[in-house]
Amino acid sequence: MRKIISVLLLSIVAVGIYLSVSHIPFGAPKTKVGGHYVEQGMEETGAANMVTSVVVIYRGFDTLGEVTVLFIAAVGLAAVLGIAGQQGFPREPASFVLRNACVVIFPLILLCGTYIFAHGHLTPGGGFQGGVVIASAFVLSYLGGRERRISKRLFGSVESLAGLVFVTTGLIGLAVGGYFLSRILPNGRPYSLLSAGIIPIIYIAIGFKVGSELAGIIDNLIEETK
Amino acid sequence: MVNPVLLIVVPLGFAFLIPILSLLSKKAAKYIPPIPLCFNIVVSLLLLPRALENPVVVSIGGWQPAFSINLVAGPVGILLSAVVAFVGLLVSIYAVDYIREGATDRYHMLFLLLLTGATGVVLTGDIFNLFVFFEILCISSYALVAYAGDKAGIESAVKYLIQGAVGSSLLLIGIGLLYGLFGTLNMADIAKALQSPSSLPVFVPMALIISGLGVEAAIFPLNGWLPDAHSSAPSPVSAILSGIAIEVGLYAIARVVFTIFGLSIDSTSNFLMFLAVLGILTLLVGEMCALGQNNIKRMLAYSSIGQMGLILFALAMASSYAVVGGLFQLVSHTLAKALLFLTVGYMTYRTHSLDVSALAGIGKRMPITSLAFTIGAFSLIGLPPFAGFPSKLLIVRAALATKECLFFVLIGGALLGTVIEAAYFFRIVQVLYFKDGNTNIARKQVPAVALIPIVIFVILIVGIGIYPKFITGLLSSAAAELLNRVDYIRNVLG
Repeated sequence: MRKIISVLLLSIVAVGIYLSVSHIPFGAPKTKVGGHYVEQGMEETGAANMVTSVVVIYRGFDTLGEVTVLFIAAVGLAAVLGIAGQQGFPREPASFVLRNACVVIFPLILLCGTYIFAHGHLTPGGGFQGGVVIASAFVLSYLGGRERRISKRLFGSVESLAGLVFVTTGLIGLAVGGYFLSRILPNGRPYSLLSAGIIPIIYIAIGFKVGSELAGIIDNLIEETK
Repeated sequence: MVNPVLLIVVPLGFAFLIPILSLLSKKAAKYIPPIPLCFNIVVSLLLLPRALENPVVVSIGGWQPAFSINLVAGPVGILLSAVVAFVGLLVSIYAVDYIREGATDRYHMLFLLLLTGATGVVLTGDIFNLFVFFEILCISSYALVAYAGDKAGIESAVKYLIQGAVGSSLLLIGIGLLYGLFGTLNMADIAKALQSPSSLPVFVPMALIISGLGVEAAIFPLNGWLPDAHSSAPSPVSAILSGIAIEVGLYAIARVVFTIFGLSIDSTSNFLMFLAVLGILTLLVGEMCALGQNNIKRMLAYSSIGQMGLILFALAMASSYAVVGGLFQLVSHTLAKALLFLTVGYMTYRTHSLDVSALAGIGKRMPITSLAFTIGAFSLIGLPPFAGFPSKLLIVRAALATKECLFFVLIGGALLGTVIEAAYFFRIVQVLYFKDGNTNIARKQVPAVALIPIVIFVILIVGIGIYPKFITGLLSSAAAELLNRVDYIRNVLG
C-alpha cells in the first residue's frame, strides 16, 4: 500500500515537472541573462573562461554563500563528531610501495590542484575543483603515512583566512567602487595569467579554503572510524 | 551611505574570524557574536528611514539588476533583519553562560552563520541567492540541533536533515524550472515576465517552491521534523529555531507568493484559499498535539507549529489589514517564543527534567524566571496587555472584514486553537505556582547574563502590548511593500 502511494505521488510530481519542462524552449537562442553573459562576459570581466566569469563576477555573492555552506558543513561535522571524537585505533602501516609512492605523488597532486585554481579564469576548473584535488592529496597522505596527522589548528586558520580574504576583497570593492565585490583591479589582457581583475584572488582563496575544509572533513571522519 | 550588504557580510566575516581568535584565547569565541549583531541593529536602524521612503536596492558587483544579484532592503527586509539581529543578540548574550559543554567556539560560529543566512534570505532580491542563504540557514540549524551530541539530538537532527534536504531539492527544482521558463533569476524580472500564476507550467514550479519552503516553515503536513528538532536542541538554539528560522521560511513563502507569482485575493486562483485552510489546519494540529504533551519543550515546539499556522492564515488572506496582522503576529511570536525557550532553558537545567510535573513549585524557587515565562505564555495566548493581544485582534478583525464565509469559518477554527493554547499554558502556569513540588531545588535565580535578555524580552512584550502603535506604522508599510508587486518591480528594475 505504502509503495503504491509513493509511486503514485512520485508520478504526479514527475508528470508535473515534465509538463513544465516541455514549455522550456531548449536550444532556442539564449535568453536575456544567459545571452548577455555569453556575448559580453569576456569583455566585461576579462575572464577567458565564461563559466568563471559567471561564478565569480556576476554571481560572486552566491559563490560566497556556497563557500559558507561548505564551511558550515565542515564546522558542523567537527562540532558533532568532535565531542565523541576519541583518538586512534590500531592502524596497519602502509605498504612500502604505497608509502614511497605517496612521497613522490603528493607534491605533484598539490601542484596540479594549484594549477587548476590559479588558472580558473583561463581554463576549465577553478577554486572548487582545485581545492578538491588538493584535498585528495591529503587523503593520499593519510593512506600512505597512517600515523601522521595534519595540524587541525593550521587547517582551521587557513580556512578562516581564506574566507576572510574573500570577504575583505568584497569589502574593499565596496569601499573603492561603491559595490560589494566590484572589480577593483583592471581586467588586463584576456588569456594572460594576470588578467580578469579580482577573479584570481578569489579563486586562490577558494582553492585554499575548499582544500583545507575537505581535508578537515576527512580528518574528522577518520577519527570516528573505530 | 550605509549599504545593506554589510548586514550580511559583517556577521559572515566575524564568523570566519572566530577560529583564528579562538587560537589566541579559548574563551574569546563566546563574546564574538554580540559584536556583529549589535552592528546589524545599528545598520538596520540607519537604513530604516530611507527604506520607509523607498526600498534601498543595491547590486553586488555593480551590474544592472537581472545581470547580477541584488539586495532589496525595503520595510519588510529591514524589519525582519532588525528582528533577527535583535533576537539573535539577546540569545547570544544568554548563550555566553548557558553553552558550556562541547566545542563552544564551533557553536558560536554556527549560531552566527545561522543568523547570517536568515538575514540574507530576508534581504535578497534574487531567487537563487535566496536558495543559497536558505541553505546556510538550514545546514547550520541541522548542525546546531545535533550540537549536544546525545542520542535524541543526533536522531532528530538526522530526521530534520533528511526532510530539509528533500525540501531544498524541491525548492531547487522549482527555481530551475522558473529559470528555464523565464531565463532570469531576479525576482522582479521573473515577476515582470510572469503573466498568470494559474497556467500549468508556472503552477508546477510554484507548488514545488512552496512545498520546499514549507518544510522549513513547518506547514502541515511538512512539519514532522519540528517537534523533535526544537525540543532536543540546546535551549538557545530552540529559541532561535522557533523564533527566527521558521519565521524566515514563512517570509520566503510570502515573498514568493506575493511578489514573484503575484497571487492576490481577487485573482481567479484559489491557491491563497488553499493556503489559508492549510494554515488553520496547521494551527489546529499543532495546538492539539501541544495539549497532549508532558515534555515542556515539545509542548513549546508544537505551539510554534500552531502559531506558524495562524501567521500563514493571516498572510494568505492577503488584504493589507491581514498582512499587517500576520507580520505583527510574527514579531510577537518571535519575542514570546524566544523568551519561553530561554526561561525554560534554566528551569529545566535546575530540575534536570523536561517533564511538566517536575516544574511544580518552581514559581517560588525562581520567581523572576517564572514570571517571565508566564508573561511569554500569556502573550502567546493573546491576553492583554501583552504583544500577542493586538496582533491576534488584528487578524480576527481582518478576517471579519473580508466578508467571506470561508474566512469566518476559519477564524472560528483559529479561536478554537487559541482556547486550546490557553488550556495548556494555564496548566503549566498552575503547575509553576500552585503545586508544591520538589523542595530540594535551591532558591537561586538565573545568572545575570541570562537574566538581562529575559528582562528585555519581557519589557518589549509588555511595551508593544500597551503601545502597539510603536510598531504598527512600520508593519503597515512592510505589509504594503509585500503586497504591492508593481512597485517592487519598478523599484528594482527602474
